[in-house]
Amino acid sequence: MSNTQDTLIEITAIEKWFDRTKVLDKVDFSVARGEVVVLIGPSGSGKTTLLRCINHLESVQGGRILVNGKPIGYRTSNYRLVEDSERNIAIQRRDVGMVFQRFNLFANMTVMRNITIAPRLLLGLSEAEARERAEALLAQVNLSEKAEAYPHELSGGQQQRIAIARALAMTPKVLLFDEPTSALDPEMVGEVLTVMKDLATGGMTMVIVTHEMGFARQVADRVVVMSKGAIIEEGRPDKIFGAPKHPVTRALLNAVMH
Amino acid sequence: MHFDWSYFWQELLTPSSAFLDGLGLTVLMAVLAEIIGLVLGLVFAQMRLSKFRAAQAMASFYVWAIRGTPLLVQIVFIYTGLAAAGIVRFQDITFDGFNFSGNLQAGILALGLHEGAYMAEIFRAGIQAVESGQFEAAKAIGMPPSMMMRYVVLPQALRIVLLPIGNQFNILLKNTTLVSIIGVSEMMLVTESINSATFRTFELYSVLGLYFLALTSLWTLFMKLAEKRLELRSLRPAFAAQAAGDL
Repeated sequence: MSNTQDTLIEITAIEKWFDRTKVLDKVDFSVARGEVVVLIGPSGSGKTTLLRCINHLESVQGGRILVNGKPIGYRTSNYRLVEDSERNIAIQRRDVGMVFQRFNLFANMTVMRNITIAPRLLLGLSEAEARERAEALLAQVNLSEKAEAYPHELSGGQQQRIAIARALAMTPKVLLFDEPTSALDPEMVGEVLTVMKDLATGGMTMVIVTHEMGFARQVADRVVVMSKGAIIEEGRPDKIFGAPKHPVTRALLNAVMH
Repeated sequence: MHFDWSYFWQELLTPSSAFLDGLGLTVLMAVLAEIIGLVLGLVFAQMRLSKFRAAQAMASFYVWAIRGTPLLVQIVFIYTGLAAAGIVRFQDITFDGFNFSGNLQAGILALGLHEGAYMAEIFRAGIQAVESGQFEAAKAIGMPPSMMMRYVVLPQALRIVLLPIGNQFNILLKNTTLVSIIGVSEMMLVTESINSATFRTFELYSVLGLYFLALTSLWTLFMKLAEKRLELRSLRPAFAAQAAGDL
């Protein structure tokens, strides 16, 4: 894919090994601005690893990852890729928000502080500005009354909505979701998906790893199917869910839908 | 058995000023060595967990060497050994009327270095006990490593290490007696010198033991209070409490 202005994430031929197991096999993947991409695939197919490469929580052994036109995690030196310093990687990560399966709210901070700390320290917002932003985000995720609560005092669904608000407070260019509803009790899945739907409608660029096929069908602009470290099929959700071509996709959809 | 109760009570309740000075030195050494130990421990724990091989190796060597040799040997090595080799000779310094003698400095340094090795291991374990998701969330939001440590990891690790640090300080308080070997007049050495004049060994060492018991008991009480205060609602592990809250 060409590096046009509309391309926000551009991944070219990345390779990743865990010891002697190849988990990503020359994967090409790109995301346009405003696009909502859902990654599906059997467990162990590499979808979470691919997602974690986008903000360099995982390193790669080959290939190239551009976010907003800039390489992440690596810089070129004499035409060779070298691992960037932690400090530079930290700066690059500000544009990429992430929501984890297990929420990972900072356990030692209130909800308010969870949301304000990064904008305060990293974006230089004043306490008042950061709080104002946090209050707006809390209203957006319907949890204004929980500002002074600690993470462990909240349900899983509430924690995950706060985690989304925390990520949004950095005004990222893209949000990555790593199975955001997998650790939730069934009755809490809906409240998180509703927030995500609103974000998608609002034009947020999102890359989502999920098993929620109904949600994927409704929200995704594009569904990407992975198997054994490679992308085996991709396309509009009606196409993937309506007429899957690859046998692995068919088996996966059968297993999840029934 | 002969136990001179009146002598015992006299020494216990109205100790000589030399003994009280010794008590002061014991506490002073323990506190200063603990501060040195905490700082060294924090630094060496970070080095052990760093990705730089040289830093890792240095820290591992320090912990290995200190924990593998007797404190008594370390004290003599630092004070007498280094002076004999002409490397460092600890000089007396008079500070605001207080004579900060060379052997006292060496003793505090030796105790601090010793404490640092144990603190390094305690801090390392504490940092490693913080859930990996906390590190990842801090990284993902764009915090550089120093900020992640200061705002996310260390506050959580500190809660975990509080009890082992308290226990280690308890040991340090008692280990100060070893510094008597290089002539620092802490409680032990004062007791020994009184004993060499009176030979009331049983009574004198009973008093000495009781003073140490008082010190360590006070410390234990303080730790209990500190722990209660730190049981803030923020600091319970997120997941256990969440599971309970979901019911």
